[in-house]
Amino acid sequence: MIDRLLRRNTSAARIAGFVISNLVGLAIMGAGLQFYLDARSLWESKDSFLKSDYLAINKIVGADAMWGNSNAEFSDEEIADLESQPWVEKVGKFSKADFRVYASVALGNQTPPDSESAESQQGRRMSTAMFFEAVPDEFLDLASGDFEWNPDSPDIPIIISKDYLALYNFGFASSAGLPKLSENLVSGLPLQLTLSSDDGNKRVQAYGRVAGYSNRFNTILVPQSLLDHYNSELGRNVTSAPSRLIIDVNSPGDAAIAPYLESKAWEVAGDKSSSSAAYMLKIVSAVIIAIGSIITLLSLLILALSMSLLMEKNRRKLHSLLMLGIPVKEVARPYWRITTLSALCAAVISWGCVFGLRTYYLAPLEAIGASGASMLWPTVMIAALTLIIICINCKGVTRRVLQAWSK
Amino acid sequence: MIPQVFVGEEIPHSEVWLTECIFRRGKHYLIEAPSGGGKSSLMAYIYGARKDYQGRLLFNKTSAADYSIDQWQEFRRRHIAYLPQELDLFPELTCIENIRLKNDLTGHVPEERINEWLERLGIAFRRDYPAGKMSIGQQQRLAIIRALCMPFDFILLDEPVSHLDGANNIIAAEIIAEEAARQGAGVISTSVGNPLLLHSAENLKL
Repeated sequence: MIDRLLRRNTSAARIAGFVISNLVGLAIMGAGLQFYLDARSLWESKDSFLKSDYLAINKIVGADAMWGNSNAEFSDEEIADLESQPWVEKVGKFSKADFRVYASVALGNQTPPDSESAESQQGRRMSTAMFFEAVPDEFLDLASGDFEWNPDSPDIPIIISKDYLALYNFGFASSAGLPKLSENLVSGLPLQLTLSSDDGNKRVQAYGRVAGYSNRFNTILVPQSLLDHYNSELGRNVTSAPSRLIIDVNSPGDAAIAPYLESKAWEVAGDKSSSSAAYMLKIVSAVIIAIGSIITLLSLLILALSMSLLMEKNRRKLHSLLMLGIPVKEVARPYWRITTLSALCAAVISWGCVFGLRTYYLAPLEAIGASGASMLWPTVMIAALTLIIICINCKGVTRRVLQAWSK
Repeated sequence: MIPQVFVGEEIPHSEVWLTECIFRRGKHYLIEAPSGGGKSSLMAYIYGARKDYQGRLLFNKTSAADYSIDQWQEFRRRHIAYLPQELDLFPELTCIENIRLKNDLTGHVPEERINEWLERLGIAFRRDYPAGKMSIGQQQRLAIIRALCMPFDFILLDEPVSHLDGANNIIAAEIIAEEAARQGAGVISTSVGNPLLLHSAENLKL
């Protein structure tokens, strides 16, 4: 009966106005956050063996490099200056191999002997000169054990750039009629390595094993301990300044990074657009979420105003109900119910909108390499905001009921 | 006790304001005063609806000023019944719904007795009629019945029979006296000239 009395004067239009605006606000916020989380993986794809996002930088090679008088190396002062930048956590130096590396691989040896193909039975041999570099162990995630070197074993773990494999598969293999190789297959290939000193007097035979691929580094990485070992065994014992540096940055999207590197004529190895794209993604998501939160805030005001208008119209009735000794909770309950139901309704529909929008964009996004995030955070955000809206309005309702205590 | 608006004003001699006035259970009180004397204010103070007074209001020696909202609501369901001058009925509810709104809350009066009261006060035929469409006199009788639908120590009646004829006044007084006697409760009623015709009522000048 109390319900019937107090629901008089309820304006369906006003409540619908709240539901729609709240729904739009929450959906925009939720979708903005969800899209940010989903798309972030496009730019923040981590190399599995790296502890966090690092940048590898080198000097831009100019024309004078051809004459051999360039200084492509980083001087101690330059490294110190870099270390003093606020966005730099720590700087590591790439060490170069001071010996020659010759690698050969037999393609087709993996094929079982009963295979019909004569070519694969015979196999093909490819060989190339190459180089090694190493970065300090602290920059690598060595927990897996795949990238460890034991001086007693001839097995050398190496990490190569993903670009090299792509270059082989899509550039070389297709034009030379060679089979394309998957990452897993390459990891299983026996890579015969010959390490020799510059004059060729000393030689070491070893097997290489591809332990991982890197998006960030255009190089061939081996463990630092291995490089140090063979540098002293085969090298000329000349120390040279590093020509590449690895930097641990606070946030790869930091806007200060690009101008600094540009002013020094240094460049980031790998995809240079990634940090600015990640930065743009952050900005755009922040703007979308801000717009959504403003709309949500306005919807909160709409609900608060329409409840207060409704209760003002029913003030006399509220007063009469309180005069009968009906508990405040029971007098407030019909309004609590309107508030809660409409807010929950908006929350559920907005969640549905985020979900729907996501299924719409997820397939194309995954096609360009993003791995979708979970919907946990947008769901938590919508739930938390709805709870806040309900709490604020229910408190307001109780306050207004008590205001009707005296006429 | 004195209403705040009277503070500093010259007021005529009163048996309630600016003196110690004790109401006891089981007794009948009739408070008479000219219009503007503060009758409705006194009722509202006792019922906790207003607090704009100076002085002290005590129930069994505990100060009403300390009561919380929930305590007042409990009070209004178990200890003090009130018939406000403006009746405070819900015009969109029917006669019987207005009564049930209160009686369902307290579960105090059996349905038969409500029907008996409706019969005696001559509004049984309006039982399912919207309260807003009943005459003022009928509404007043309805409000009296509703006020009785709870256990009480005192019943406050603010000009309860101002729109009733003599015969209905007597019936109303009988019913109120019966119910008060059943509960051993006190009756406090006010009037500006058409008093509730209770027997052996103590008259107080406001």
